[in-house]
Amino acid sequence: MPDKDGMSIEEILAAARAEKGVGGDSDAPQDDAPQDDAPQDAEAAPAPAKPPGEMSVADIMAAARGGKAAPKAAAAPKKSAKASKSPAKAEAKPKPSAAQETSGPRDTSSVLAMARKQVKPGPISKAEAAAQGKPLPTGGGKPKLDVPPMPKRPDFAAKAAPAEARRGFLGSLAAVCFGSALAIGFSTFSLTNLLWVLGLARFMFPNILTEPPTRFKVGFPDGFSPGQVETKFKAQFGVWIVRAEYDGQTQIYALQSVCTHLGCTPNWLEAEQKFKCPCHGSGFYKDGVNFEGPAPRPLERFAIKLADDGQLEVDKSQKFQEELGQWRDAASFVPVA
Amino acid sequence: MHGNEVEFLESVSGFVGSWYLFASLMNASAALYLWRSGRVATLMKPGGVAISTVSLWSTVAAVFVILSALAFGGGVGSLRLPQGLRDQLDTVMAPQYYVTGVLVLLGGVYLARRFFVKPLVAWSGLNLVLLYMGLSITDPDFAAIVTKPDNVPIVGLVYMLGFFTWLGAYRAVQNDERTAQGLEPLEKADDEKVLVWPDLVYTELICMVAVTALLLVWGILLQAPLEEAASTVKTPNPSKAPWYFLGLQEMLVYYDPWMAGVVLPSVVIFGLMAIPYIDFNKQGQGYYTIAERKFAYVTFQFGFLVLWVTLIVMGTFMRGPNWNFFGLYETWDAHKVEALNNVDLSEYFWVWALHLPRPSAPEGSSGFVSLGYIVLRESPGFVCVFLYFVALPPAMVLGCKWMEDLGLKKWLVVDMKELFLRAGFMRYMVIANLILLMALLPVKMVLRWTVNLKYFISIPEYFLNL
Repeated sequence: MPDKDGMSIEEILAAARAEKGVGGDSDAPQDDAPQDDAPQDAEAAPAPAKPPGEMSVADIMAAARGGKAAPKAAAAPKKSAKASKSPAKAEAKPKPSAAQETSGPRDTSSVLAMARKQVKPGPISKAEAAAQGKPLPTGGGKPKLDVPPMPKRPDFAAKAAPAEARRGFLGSLAAVCFGSALAIGFSTFSLTNLLWVLGLARFMFPNILTEPPTRFKVGFPDGFSPGQVETKFKAQFGVWIVRAEYDGQTQIYALQSVCTHLGCTPNWLEAEQKFKCPCHGSGFYKDGVNFEGPAPRPLERFAIKLADDGQLEVDKSQKFQEELGQWRDAASFVPVA
Repeated sequence: MHGNEVEFLESVSGFVGSWYLFASLMNASAALYLWRSGRVATLMKPGGVAISTVSLWSTVAAVFVILSALAFGGGVGSLRLPQGLRDQLDTVMAPQYYVTGVLVLLGGVYLARRFFVKPLVAWSGLNLVLLYMGLSITDPDFAAIVTKPDNVPIVGLVYMLGFFTWLGAYRAVQNDERTAQGLEPLEKADDEKVLVWPDLVYTELICMVAVTALLLVWGILLQAPLEEAASTVKTPNPSKAPWYFLGLQEMLVYYDPWMAGVVLPSVVIFGLMAIPYIDFNKQGQGYYTIAERKFAYVTFQFGFLVLWVTLIVMGTFMRGPNWNFFGLYETWDAHKVEALNNVDLSEYFWVWALHLPRPSAPEGSSGFVSLGYIVLRESPGFVCVFLYFVALPPAMVLGCKWMEDLGLKKWLVVDMKELFLRAGFMRYMVIANLILLMALLPVKMVLRWTVNLKYFISIPEYFLNL
């Protein structure tokens, strides 16, 4: 090789190209595929067609890369040929392709630096190593230690079978829940969701209710005249207290002031003697039974009873539906003589 | 009534006068436009004197000017429909007549569309509607319901829908006539392209500014109809849904809540989504036409104009306290008594027709036995629903074939036989069932209003009512 300092860029590149061509040729025999020569020559042919002095940098680069890529290009037809002819050799395939990947296309500066250093990057062949005077790394560099054999494990130290099974179960559970980053993520997510739902459930049962009480007294039975619909509890408690005949018996009962159609609040129309809903026109008789409009079933009753002091007490926590036959329940009304 | 009659007339006179003045200006500018553009048509020649469209609309404008002067000058009390006619209109606006009337009217307009889309006829119709509004707004009850800030947009909606429906039908009829003559549609003949910038963007900008200005003026002039704070135990009477949901609210009167609130709206959405799969008519794309897409046009106008818009109009103007029905000239009386005792079909069948008690399970029988009794009790309804949805679609095909055999094919609005042959069995059944589900609403409304029928199938035990 001439002195590097005295070389022009063109000369360096020409030298690099020549080296690359040699490298490509030296790689090819490693693939034990002599039949590749024809395509490789065809690829390499355009490069020396011009004298180095007339070549542009781009041409040189293309030639340099072409020389490197030649084995790769040649490998493609070879692969199919090998697969069909001798499958036994197929396992030898990954080696050259890996080598080609390390020596893929590079930028100009690194190619130039490489050429100046006159070294080839990546793995080197034995011949190249010998030429560079470096010893090849070998596996058996260190002398092996002479280790005495382990003593035999005594019987009491043997692992118990049941403990193995139990740990297997817990272990597999732990592996499912925390075995991987994904599992940890999902477990934490599920746990957070569970806690959130539990918190929501707790939220539904507040410590202090600001609503009116569900049990309240509405006065003495004598205070209701026959046939009266008392509407004064509607605004606060959402209930009508009615003293009327039902099922051949005079009763006092508490009707919930919620339409069974879609939950609007009906009005008691004294002149028409009916409950009438302003939303869709459902109508109910005084006893709460639906008779007009779209409401599918009668109004619902709340529990009512005579308290110890003789007053009527309504309990809104208990409801009675006519269509389920619950209005016959003695807790749904107070009989009046 | 609404306080002092004189005060009311004074308050409304300015509006009525402006209304007639607007109508007069509208007609005058129409006459001017016709005269300047030279599109004058001679209507008739009684005694050799030619009456042209220009002279007609000029006369109408003059009449409106006189009406306007009367209204401004204090004579507004005389500018109203006679009381007898208003009472008769109230009667005609009873729901059963309203629904069937709308169907008949729109059907007639559709069949005679060649007549109604003529600009002369359409303009006359617009003038008549304006005159009707002017003569009606002097009625206190009509004025109260129409000028409510909530309802003013609905009045605008009626006019705009009328205009756009007319416009679509007008273009479609023109195209159909051209197609009959072997010409291409107008849209194809006039396929001059316009640019997005500046043509479209400028149009959009101008529209945006105009609409913003309109909304500003509207917001200043018409106060928001705010009410008292909401309460769980007090429902306003009447309690109305937003105007665009009034059709749904009206539907809720006739159907079970889960039917009208969940099932049917879902069917509407899925039915709309199914249109690309059940519409095999490749004609009429990119231009107005009715003749080439009769089925699609009739179905759309039925679903939109009848089932949606007329129900919005009905819910806005004719539903009063306690969700009772009130004519436009009727006072909203919260104590109006209407006998609306609804009867289920099973009761009609067992009690009224057979004079038997309705079958009911003996006391304490098991769930399956009582379910069997329920099915027996509701069997007439099940038979009706089965016949309607399963037997009627084939019957419609056979009916069309029969009419064809009798040589009455030209009277068929929609040829179900051809539809069946082209769509195939499954697709035809899907189409027919969607159409029948749409048609069930007016059927149920009329049955409710005429024979107080509540539900065909009524199983309140399991919240299943139809």
